Amino acid sequence: MINDIQIQDTLQTVQDTIKSAAQEDVFNKITFDLTKVVEGNGLLITVVGYVVVFAALLMLFVIISNMKNFLTFKQRKKLRAEGNIAADEKDLSISGDINAAIAMSLHLHFAELHDIESTTLTIKKVQRTYSPWSSKLYGLRQIPLKK
Amino acid sequence: MEGLEQFIRFTGFANITIEHCIMMVIALIFIYLAIVKEYEPLLLIPIGFGILIGNIPFLENVGMQIGIYEEGSVLNYLYYGVVKGIYPPLIFLGIGAMTDFSALLSNPRLMLLGAAAQVGIFITFMAAMALGFSQEQAAAIGIIGGADGPTAIFLSSKLAPELIGAIAIAAYSYMALVPVIQPPIIKLLTTKEERVIRMKPPRAVSKLEKIIFPIVGLLLTTFISPGALPLLGMLFFGNLLKESGVTRRLADTASKSLIDIVTILLGLTVGASTQATTFLTPQSILIFFLGAVSFMIATAGGVIFAKVMNLFLKGDNKLNPMIGAAGVSAVPDSARVVQHLGVQEDSTNYLLMHAMAPNVSGVIGSAVAAGILMGFLLNVF
Repeated sequence: MINDIQIQDTLQTVQDTIKSAAQEDVFNKITFDLTKVVEGNGLLITVVGYVVVFAALLMLFVIISNMKNFLTFKQRKKLRAEGNIAADEKDLSISGDINAAIAMSLHLHFAELHDIESTTLTIKKVQRTYSPWSSKLYGLRQIPLKK
Repeated sequence: MEGLEQFIRFTGFANITIEHCIMMVIALIFIYLAIVKEYEPLLLIPIGFGILIGNIPFLENVGMQIGIYEEGSVLNYLYYGVVKGIYPPLIFLGIGAMTDFSALLSNPRLMLLGAAAQVGIFITFMAAMALGFSQEQAAAIGIIGGADGPTAIFLSSKLAPELIGAIAIAAYSYMALVPVIQPPIIKLLTTKEERVIRMKPPRAVSKLEKIIFPIVGLLLTTFISPGALPLLGMLFFGNLLKESGVTRRLADTASKSLIDIVTILLGLTVGASTQATTFLTPQSILIFFLGAVSFMIATAGGVIFAKVMNLFLKGDNKLNPMIGAAGVSAVPDSARVVQHLGVQEDSTNYLLMHAMAPNVSGVIGSAVAAGILMGFLLNVF
């Protein structure tokens, strides 16, 4: 009896120890402590890191925005020399709608390809004199029966 | 008789634990989501099956060289590409060869949305530090918010290799769950009027612009953040292969066969790395939780920044703020989600091309962020 009680006590102690160790372990990891961020330079890294990411993409944005103007500079110069008023237009590129129309017409054109054939549409009257060689009657394998 | 006893000790039945069963259930959920719900099947099938492979119980460390963590095993060799950060740049090569930057080039201001969405990375970085993770671990966890699997694997392989399995699984899981996570956040932060905003159609972009972009992009971003060189170098290289028009065969290989091979190896080994005995810890669960938070903050950051930009934009230059959510770099899933939501609100409003701009910008942004974090935290001196 005493042995049973001792065993139960021991088991209880072991269970409590495991439980408290597990709780301690989990709670230690889940503790939310903002001082660790400050001490570990977390705030500094965050601010600098985010600003640098932003700056990198902002610079790329500035370059790309101006790349179009840079690339069309020669084209504008040529248009100006020709006296074309399009040279002063803000956007020299062809719009998506126009591109789509061109693409569609090209597609239709190339999809309609045929062998070379006459484009003259006329109705010619053809007269053929009778010849047994071209007679339909002789060409038939069975003569139609009139009922 | 001893032989029989040994054989029985080697079987999976003798070594199975509750953790193995849990991981197998997770694997089956992944496979179910991939096949039935079609959530990122190209990722979830290899990862899900990899989890099954990695969690077949066996007697570890007895020289059988089976497990992914046992030196000399086939899986261990394949996993080398993950641990050493070899696969992520190859994936980026394929992404570069597949990506059309026209949408971004035609409306470069959308690039800022990609930058704004990286807020998730940095806020989660701080949260992870506050929760007791080391700086390096916190950085690797934070990058999950970039929603970019290869970048997350690359950074964790450099800063916190011990967390690579949990981080990779979290990153890819959230990428696959983009259609579930993002819509409620987008709807919560936008009004009906904002969701039906029509954006100006993108202008045509010349071939020369498309060729110059990868060169300028590489020079600018990697000078600022050289740590991102393996990722951004490969991304822009792949894009030049595509846009130059003279290396079609190379671009085809990079965008089809190569990326498919690497995806198979990456997905399978990342899945197999979740061996229950090393993976299922409270730390992994915490990483999963932080990953979700990171992803949500990133989505919200993009949407809110788009709304702020709208305060300064007029007329048909206004943005549909939903495209801000595509600033996370889950390409093209986030853009697809935005398109889907746009069509739900107005069946004639197509936002896909507009959303692709912040989406690809997010890829660049998260890689730059990874490079910056590496620059701060990699212990080289």
